[in-house]
Amino acid sequence: MNMQLLKDIVIVSPLIALFALSLFPVMIKVFRGNREPNPYVTLFLGFMGLSLATGLTAALSGAKQTAFSGAIVFDGVTAWMSYLVYLITAVSLMLSFDHVATKGRQFAEYVFLMLNSVLGMIVLIMSNDLIVTFIGIETMSLCLYVLCAMGKEDVLSKEAAFKYFVLGSFASAIFLYGVALIYGTVGSTVFPEILEAVGTLISTNKLFLIGLGLVTLGFAFKVSIFPLHAWTPDVYHGAPTPVTAFMATAVKASTFIAFLRLFNSDGYGDAARFQGVLEWLAVLTMLIGNVAAVMQDNFKRMLAYSSVAHSGYLMVGLIAAGFGSNFNAGATSVVFYLFSYSLMTLGTFALVAMFERAENTAMSMDDLKGLAGRYPLLSLSLAILLLSLAGIPPTLGFFGKFYLFSAAIEQDMYWLVFWGVINSVISVYYYLRPIVMMYMTDDQPAEVLGAHLMTRMTVVFTALLVVLLGLASSPVLKAVQRSVVNLF
Amino acid sequence: MPNTIDTILKVSLNHYLVLSAVLFTLGVLGVLLRKNVIVILMSIELMLNAVNVTFIAFSRYSGNIDGQVMVFFVMTIAAAEAAVGLALAVLIFRRFKEINIRYFEHLRG
Repeated sequence: MNMQLLKDIVIVSPLIALFALSLFPVMIKVFRGNREPNPYVTLFLGFMGLSLATGLTAALSGAKQTAFSGAIVFDGVTAWMSYLVYLITAVSLMLSFDHVATKGRQFAEYVFLMLNSVLGMIVLIMSNDLIVTFIGIETMSLCLYVLCAMGKEDVLSKEAAFKYFVLGSFASAIFLYGVALIYGTVGSTVFPEILEAVGTLISTNKLFLIGLGLVTLGFAFKVSIFPLHAWTPDVYHGAPTPVTAFMATAVKASTFIAFLRLFNSDGYGDAARFQGVLEWLAVLTMLIGNVAAVMQDNFKRMLAYSSVAHSGYLMVGLIAAGFGSNFNAGATSVVFYLFSYSLMTLGTFALVAMFERAENTAMSMDDLKGLAGRYPLLSLSLAILLLSLAGIPPTLGFFGKFYLFSAAIEQDMYWLVFWGVINSVISVYYYLRPIVMMYMTDDQPAEVLGAHLMTRMTVVFTALLVVLLGLASSPVLKAVQRSVVNLF
Repeated sequence: MPNTIDTILKVSLNHYLVLSAVLFTLGVLGVLLRKNVIVILMSIELMLNAVNVTFIAFSRYSGNIDGQVMVFFVMTIAAAEAAVGLALAVLIFRRFKEINIRYFEHLRG
């Protein structure tokens, strides 16, 4: 009995390490009489927590294990996505260290909140039980609400935080109601039991179907799928840019994995109407994201709408995984796409962060005019990242989209893929516009950017990764495939 | 006549489910229609507690204790959410001198 408990605790040790290290910065601050510790020390402690958690995750990965009577699962996908989230967090911490809206006075609390938000994400990635999923979502989101409000800017960040809070709690309550209904009809909230019951209940039990719909809505809010996407541009715009980068990537990656686990069942095959609704949501998400992004002049809002559109593409993979005959192919493409999307988006937001001199400046497209003349390396990196977001070969973004759509074609979902391709074509317009601004308008030199050493490194480094991983995409895909096939 | 009284007095699972659905709907309407920040926070709490009613009803009528344990988790989360929500409301009030969400319209486009 005690051995079992010990084993369970070992499996969640990355979480314990993260939490313990997250306490250090705030504790130091408290013991120094509320004086801010050296930001380098704080940053170092944050990195310590992340690397300790990474090491523990690496040490634990191997065969699929479950803990706490099946409520937590540790498999290949858990390990991969944990690495991704740790990487994103490390980069976001570096951006925050440089950024004018987040550095300085409250950096210790900021690091504490960020590490705890990561803790929630890892719970979400590991969860094998709907109620644990709920707790993961809430831990992650409660920290994020406060992170949004912690920017030094007075009006927009506070308003964004409150909007995010109200809509987020609303969506969580809807999610929880769905969990309650599923619990009532299945008699359990553990994923394996729910997934086994799906086949019989989905066509016979209305209450179960409503529960499933509400849970889907809850997830849809967190990853900004169509009917619940309206908060995305406002919150992404208002939050400090490092937080936006973190939200746009890590939240989406971890929530999509939990969403994917819910679809790991053959029982959805008969639910044609449920599938139809999800397909329409995917198509509308792509369309609305792309059409709205075309009309934006504020660079950050454009990226927010582009992130909505990317959720739509990911939904295509999710539907292929859940409703097709081959779960693994769809799941692999979704995991791969999450990797590529996160890298591209992080790099682009890092560049936005460099343009923000004061805490309340908004970067517009015109700021990019003539950038190539003054900063050739940065411009080249941004061009690569944007081309990758648009899905132009040989970048990582192209292969991500390619695997996603081919997984859907394998399941004969031509209609979905048709819309996906149409939308990729629309998106090329607004991704190319900044590149045109940078390279083809040299009548005025760009403004001088701040030093921001780490931010600059991030932009170049992500662009490099996007190209290199794009060229070496098939070994990467094989590695992802192995982790999904053996261990999901 | 005694028969009717019997059916009315015998509270079944469906009664609880309908009650919780009504409470939940009231909460949803409160979040969507009211403009006062504090009332919105209260409506969110109402939604979470409506879910608790569902959990306990299902748990009681199926003899499965799990649902009652989940209520503790939900209550903890609701408390944390209220703390964060009220902190944000105080912050908002200090900046805007206003707790009516009609005035939050700086983010547009």
